[in-house]
Amino acid sequence: MPIVNWKVGIVSCSGEEIPEGKISRVATRLVLEKLRPNETVTICLPLFLAGGEGERTFAKVFPTITVDGCEKRCAEKGTKKYSGKPFATVVVTDNLKKCPEANLKSRDQLSAEELDFAEKVAEEIADKVDEALNQAIKQHGSGES
Amino acid sequence: MTERVKVAVVACAGMDKPVGSLTSASVFKVVEELRPENVELVCLPPLLAGVSSYSDLVRSLPVLTVDGCAERCATKLIVKSGGKIRGRIFVPDCAKKYNLLPEAASCLGPNGEKLAENIAQEIASTVDKLIQET
Repeated sequence: MPIVNWKVGIVSCSGEEIPEGKISRVATRLVLEKLRPNETVTICLPLFLAGGEGERTFAKVFPTITVDGCEKRCAEKGTKKYSGKPFATVVVTDNLKKCPEANLKSRDQLSAEELDFAEKVAEEIADKVDEALNQAIKQHGSGES
Repeated sequence: MTERVKVAVVACAGMDKPVGSLTSASVFKVVEELRPENVELVCLPPLLAGVSSYSDLVRSLPVLTVDGCAERCATKLIVKSGGKIRGRIFVPDCAKKYNLLPEAASCLGPNGEKLAENIAQEIASTVDKLIQET
């Protein structure tokens, strides 16, 4: 039987058009590189949508968390369409309602306030990663030998 | 009054490789500094999520795609959406040409920033060329 260590796939919108998209991108990278580097992998959304079989298969087998910048929810819709329901969804515009002081303006370099907000979003994603892993381990075991 | 001619610029903006971040950084320089009046930035995922205003845009304007890796997702997705690709920038070719590489996806570093600037200039020149041809 193959040995599988659980990982959570983060599917983030690529954040091209609005500042909220940039926040989704930065928050996702904070989770991948600082908060949960050993527990997460990223799924490249353009490749996933363009038909990347590896990305789609991963998202069918492992739990996913989608991170969207706006209400279009492209990452969530794409994940549902090609691989199944994500374990959890994060929408930056929803988080922004709780932190209006973030005053998002940048699509490129973030200000200190914007980075602060991105860190809050990243913490929320990290909490959901922990929940996803706990649930996977409860249902299927740790996957370690 | 004549309507200003624009070019739709579409970057892959992939999350999993530094070259994806490079496409984003380059395109933002064009949209915000170099050619803000001549470029419509098109966000790739909504095209596939069925947002009609985006597909109308790529079908009506000349499209310039910026791809970060050999998967060429921006190009593939524009073709799939019925867009008219008139120019293509492939970041790995630019990296070879300028002999510069980004450090990481979250931090391009000085060489990555310099490369982004060079790619942005190439995008801007291509935009000018496409506008002249239109």
